[in-house]
Amino acid sequence: MDHPIELACIIDDDKIYVNLVKKIIEIKKLSQNLIIFKNGKEALDYFKAILENVSEERLPDIIFLDLNMPVMDGWEFLSEFVKIKNTFNKKITLYVVSSSIDPRDLERAKSFNMVTDYLIKPIELKRFEKIFEREVA
Amino acid sequence: MLNDLQLNSILEDFDVAYWKINLLTKEISWSEHFNYLIGNPDTGTNKLDFFLNNILHKDYRYDFREYFENLTDHYKPFTTEIRLKLENGKYRWFECRNLKSREKGLADAAVLLFVNIHQAKRDQYTIEENFFYYRETAEMTSTGGWYLDVTTNAVYWDNVTKKILDCPMDYEPHPEDKMRFYANEHHEKVERMFKKCSKFGIPFKVEIKMRTLHNREFWVRATGKPVYNNEQEVIGIRGVYQDIDEQKTNELNLQNSLDIIASQNSRLFNFAHIVSHQLRSHSSNLSLIAQLLREARTAEDKLDLLLNVNDISENLEDAINELNEVVTRQNNLKKERQLVKFKAALDVVIASTSSLIKRENAEIIAEFDKLNEINYISEYLESILLNLITNAIKYKFQGRKPIIYIQTYKENGESFLEISDNGMGIDLDEHGDKMFGMYKTFHRHPEANGIGLFITKNQVEAMGGSISVTSTVNIGTTFKIKF
Repeated sequence: MDHPIELACIIDDDKIYVNLVKKIIEIKKLSQNLIIFKNGKEALDYFKAILENVSEERLPDIIFLDLNMPVMDGWEFLSEFVKIKNTFNKKITLYVVSSSIDPRDLERAKSFNMVTDYLIKPIELKRFEKIFEREVA
Repeated sequence: MLNDLQLNSILEDFDVAYWKINLLTKEISWSEHFNYLIGNPDTGTNKLDFFLNNILHKDYRYDFREYFENLTDHYKPFTTEIRLKLENGKYRWFECRNLKSREKGLADAAVLLFVNIHQAKRDQYTIEENFFYYRETAEMTSTGGWYLDVTTNAVYWDNVTKKILDCPMDYEPHPEDKMRFYANEHHEKVERMFKKCSKFGIPFKVEIKMRTLHNREFWVRATGKPVYNNEQEVIGIRGVYQDIDEQKTNELNLQNSLDIIASQNSRLFNFAHIVSHQLRSHSSNLSLIAQLLREARTAEDKLDLLLNVNDISENLEDAINELNEVVTRQNNLKKERQLVKFKAALDVVIASTSSLIKRENAEIIAEFDKLNEINYISEYLESILLNLITNAIKYKFQGRKPIIYIQTYKENGESFLEISDNGMGIDLDEHGDKMFGMYKTFHRHPEANGIGLFITKNQVEAMGGSISVTSTVNIGTTFKIKF
């Protein structure tokens, strides 16, 4: 991987999962940088601050969003994120990653245009790598 | 005097036909109209035989012959109702009677009149039939009629009303025990609806509980409509009572079953939720670790990953404990209500949380003097108090001594419990709608597990009450439970 993704982002409250994904990204060198948020609100506040004070270039290239989180869950994050989406041009790929196998969750996630795909935990290493490769290509 | 022609035409207009009988020769002549009615048949020589065999319904043959012979032989007058076959082949009702001759000397002839009474007869049958259906329906559906004279307060009941109220048939209701036949809890309602009907003519249709002579209470559908006099004043109320006890009991049972099914369904839903969101997330982490282990190159990496397995097993155990908590709590539903003292329930809760209260130096003030007990399940009341009190302490305002104020009271006949704190509060605009949902935590607090308020709401609602919340961030929160 000569040109890994510059910045990946994980929004998830499961510490163990986050640590494991972090490890994968480090070992496989899938992304140069990684930022992690414990819930939707932390992520949203950060993105808003970046857009206001820095530059949209500093937004992540790819986001992995969990659904079931305290304070602001994945659904609320998505509906808030839709509102600020028009204020910048950078292309951000967003994956919903959840342990829920409820088909209603899957349907609902796909109803958001910005959601590229719905990944069911556990994510497969091969699939995960492919997602990053596709982003770079 | 009218001549025969005029008389004939009048009789025809009234659909009256007649026979003239010569009492000496027994010769019979039929009026034109009579001939017309039966279709001008060829009668042969014996008109009486032809009539008996072809025109008269066979049920009346014997009687008619008797009458006829009594008339011709003994001048005995008669009146009878018979059925005749008309020219269209159908039988119609006629009244047959002879005209009395006033002058005895002229009694050599008799006149038999045939008056069409078919419509009247049919109406009579319809009325009898309707009455029959009405009575059968009333009996079958246990529907009794009643009338209240609003000027004298006199009450009239029909037999079915007496029957459904266990009263003997000769029982006469007295105006002064008008209320005696209604269950106590519905007296107010009954007074109101009778007043509205007698004063303003507003009809009613209600389901109420009545009480029989033997004090058995049962459900009735009661309707009442005003009866007006010519001046358009309400002079009475007329209506029916329908015994719907069986239906009502079934309905209540059905509602009960529905409630139980609904609560079991929601338990199943929660079960699925926990399995999906909690158990699955741990198992998926395990599987992720397995994948990484396969790829890990150094012993150090592998050891590092194995440490995670330990964390996962702990989390998994917590999740299973929560699951167990939800299941055991639901089993309490089968318990009976009993009078529970608020003070006793609070003492149990304070004893079990004494270490938390002491650690946080929390103060609990309770005022139960306005309402000191409630018909409830004690475990529920304790669990509700426990959840709300521990919440209040857990989410205290940092640096402020937690104070919890608990009071009970009655308002408009309803019982209330309020628990207020001076804690960190919740932004209800943001979180209000999902406040009581499962696994909803609003504070970045390590002890928030998102299950307490969900269980509290479930318990309050399982007992037929409701819970609401008001809160101001940094000031405090008040939970209000209506029992």
